[in-house]
Amino acid sequence: MPSYEIAMMIRTMPKAELKNTLMRVSNCIFDRGGIIRKIENLGFRPMPYKTSAHGIVHREANYFVLKVDTGTNVVSDLKEEYSRDVDVIRQRVYKVNQESTDQCSLEEELLPPAYRKEVQKMIEVGKTQVNRFTFKFKYNSGLDYYPFQR
Amino acid sequence: MALIRNLSMRSIMLNMKKVFISDVRGLNSEAVNDDLPVEMENPYKKEKRQCILCKLNINPDYKNYRLLSQFQSPYTGRIYGRHITGLCKNKQEAVEREIVKAQNCAYMPYFYKDKVFLKDPRLFDPENPVRSHRF
Ligand SMILES: [Zn+2]
Repeated sequence: MPSYEIAMMIRTMPKAELKNTLMRVSNCIFDRGGIIRKIENLGFRPMPYKTSAHGIVHREANYFVLKVDTGTNVVSDLKEEYSRDVDVIRQRVYKVNQESTDQCSLEEELLPPAYRKEVQKMIEVGKTQVNRFTFKFKYNSGLDYYPFQR
Repeated sequence: MALIRNLSMRSIMLNMKKVFISDVRGLNSEAVNDDLPVEMENPYKKEKRQCILCKLNINPDYKNYRLLSQFQSPYTGRIYGRHITGLCKNKQEAVEREIVKAQNCAYMPYFYKDKVFLKDPRLFDPENPVRSHRF
């Protein structure tokens, strides 16, 4: 089961109701055989842009991030379920980022163009192409006259 | 008196040094030619330059929208290019990807920078890009 992060915005409501909503949201995942690793509360704050959902314009929201392990086929099902939920303003599902172990390539990028690997590759490719500026058509027809209209 | 003591100290140190050198020469008696150039790494070699995110080992994340907003223009909300931010290719790509995610999740505005973050320390100077641009 791959791990996902569900970023969820829940409408303004008192704490007891919010608890109920979170229970409902997480039960959806449990019913489909998923696991919740963590629920992060990013707090209640004004949204950077107003959002209209289920006929109401929202300007503030409770931000939550659920770290979830579920099957891949469940994700679209969950999205559909949450889109029908009146308390959920907005939801996004992202795969958890892999830790990248790449080294910094800034030093190679700051070299003069002739020393950069990608530029050298481009020059190599250019050598295999026809040069438009020096190309001359060859009439290898074997005839001693030109068969076409000039 | 102090002078004499100093002199005697120096003579002792010199003697010790001689003994030490002779010991070392005794160990590898074949390579004793002092005139040959010494094999060593270039002492004037410059340190490898790194971008700020690689140096501090930070992986940009869409939940850390305060960091991401530092790569956003305060006037238009657009993401600064690689010639301004001075990031390496991978990190710049990651930053752009995570900013789009954060904007989608309504953590970050699209067309302006959050006014709370306007006085954050600047990681780079947009007025002095590495490569000049027409704006
Ligand atoms: Zn880097």
